Amino acid sequence: MKNRLKLLRVERDWTQEQLGQALGVSRQAVNALETEKHDPSLDLAYRIAVLFGRPVEDIFENPHA
Amino acid sequence: MLSAWRQGTPAGRRYVIRTWAFMVPYMLICVSMMVTDAFDDIIGKPAGWVLAAAVSAPIIGQIWATLSLMRESDEFVRALTAKQFIVAAGVAMALATFWGFAETFASAPHIPAWLIYPTFWAVYGLVAPFIRTSN
Repeated sequence: MKNRLKLLRVERDWTQEQLGQALGVSRQAVNALETEKHDPSLDLAYRIAVLFGRPVEDIFENPHA
Repeated sequence: MLSAWRQGTPAGRRYVIRTWAFMVPYMLICVSMMVTDAFDDIIGKPAGWVLAAAVSAPIIGQIWATLSLMRESDEFVRALTAKQFIVAAGVAMALATFWGFAETFASAPHIPAWLIYPTFWAVYGLVAPFIRTSN
């Protein structure tokens, strides 16, 4: 799923490890999200949205829109 | 298993430790069966069933370790492990089924059924590096 996760992370000068810790997932999971190798669950997508203070659709492109 | 250790997550490291705990006894029994005559006296006797159960028990433990890894990991690792496990199990079952029918219909030489387990992990090791997405 296309997303702006890497852009938002780099804007805050966070490493994948730091973002993973903030979200409660592994660095591998963050890398998989950024490289579109994993579509997040609704729960994780909302956690990411809350962390960055943005609506989910600002971060993840809605493939059905 | 190496990737689980390299990931460095607590769940990954627990998985490696549990795997060693179950696989060392399994391998020790298998190797001693192959290179010594320590178990020859019990072949065909009731104690043979006990030995068969003893050498199979670590496999249940290993499956538990894998399920624990999935339960204790995040959603990506869980999905990836499940996908790799299913593909490896499917290929191993297909190989075993093929060989079983080959024994029945083509007079292929008999292969012991216990080889399915090492075959499964060999296939797992081969396919896992190529399964890197959860999609």
